[in-house]
Amino acid sequence: MTTTTQRRHDHVIEAVLGMAPDAVTYVPSNSIAPLITGLTEKSPSSTRVFPVSREEEAVGIVGALPLAGRFGVIVMQDNGFGNALTALTTFAASYHLPLLVLANTRGGLGEYNSMIHSISAPVPQLLQAANIPAFTLDRRNPPQDWRATVAEAGKHARMTYRPVVVLMEFFDFHDEESRA
Amino acid sequence: MKRIEALKTVTEHTHDLPVTATCAATSRELAAVDDRDNHLYLLDSMGLTVSVGTGIALGVAGSGVRRSVVLDGDGSLLMNLGAAATAGYLQQENLVIVLLDNGVYASTAAIPTQAATLDLAAVAESVGLRVQRASDTDELSTVLARALTDPGPWFLHVTIEPGNEPNTPLLLVDPAVHADRFRRWLTGRTAA
Repeated sequence: MTTTTQRRHDHVIEAVLGMAPDAVTYVPSNSIAPLITGLTEKSPSSTRVFPVSREEEAVGIVGALPLAGRFGVIVMQDNGFGNALTALTTFAASYHLPLLVLANTRGGLGEYNSMIHSISAPVPQLLQAANIPAFTLDRRNPPQDWRATVAEAGKHARMTYRPVVVLMEFFDFHDEESRA
Repeated sequence: MKRIEALKTVTEHTHDLPVTATCAATSRELAAVDDRDNHLYLLDSMGLTVSVGTGIALGVAGSGVRRSVVLDGDGSLLMNLGAAATAGYLQQENLVIVLLDNGVYASTAAIPTQAATLDLAAVAESVGLRVQRASDTDELSTVLARALTDPGPWFLHVTIEPGNEPNTPLLLVDPAVHADRFRRWLTGRTAA
């Protein structure tokens, strides 16, 4: 892994730790394995970090936390929005429940999979149509910008009482391991 | 046992506990029994009840709120069976899942679910949930009382008759307003 890729992960981990979530749930992807591992290893005992089987499950669990005065983060891959949209719209958005979704993108530059673009490419438009705000990070953003964006997106979710998404494209011209 | 009889029994035990109810007839009948501030009705989001109840269980852990009670149906649970696996994985001792199993999608023309032949209690047991069964109101009262005192996570498999209570009003509440009512009630107790 290149220094740039590792620094992106490190900055996102620091941003998540900085918002002191009560829970972080994840559906894994190879691209975000360092992020999941880092959060698992570095989170304090007050933050529960655990896997779920599908993305809508994550929305149900993390979306419920604000009802108890808590806050949580979902780490997933963008193709999981196909699973999560009903829960995001009919629960989190409709009940005004803040949560932060950090999703790595697939189907773009460096993609090796021949079909995943068919769900991943339209994700920004799907989220826009569902009125769920999404902010994008990619190779043009320096690693420190990844931290600032994630941190601010967490604040934005809480300020606006709704789910907020950060789409993270990890493609790096200098790192074959980070292409998808 | 009719669903509404089961719901009346549950409400007798849950005056001071958060109760999350699955959508459609279950939420409507629960509200008709008693529309309390400690009730969270999922107005849609079929399949999400156990996940939401698990989130509430995580959120209230360590507070004065002793339990998170979930009212789910067999059709809803089957829509998101992984939620039971996660509940078993997390082992939240304060989670009580009450599964009202009538073997049909009662709000959808009583079309049979897979629970007509599958034993969802056995599924729950296989993922590490503590299972008790009930098929009448006395049994439900007994198993619920135990689940509210002994550590869980509990899965109460409650066999009910198919069918809905006639003339139950629709729940036409604004979900944001409803969520705020529940949140105020719950955070008022977690902060105490």
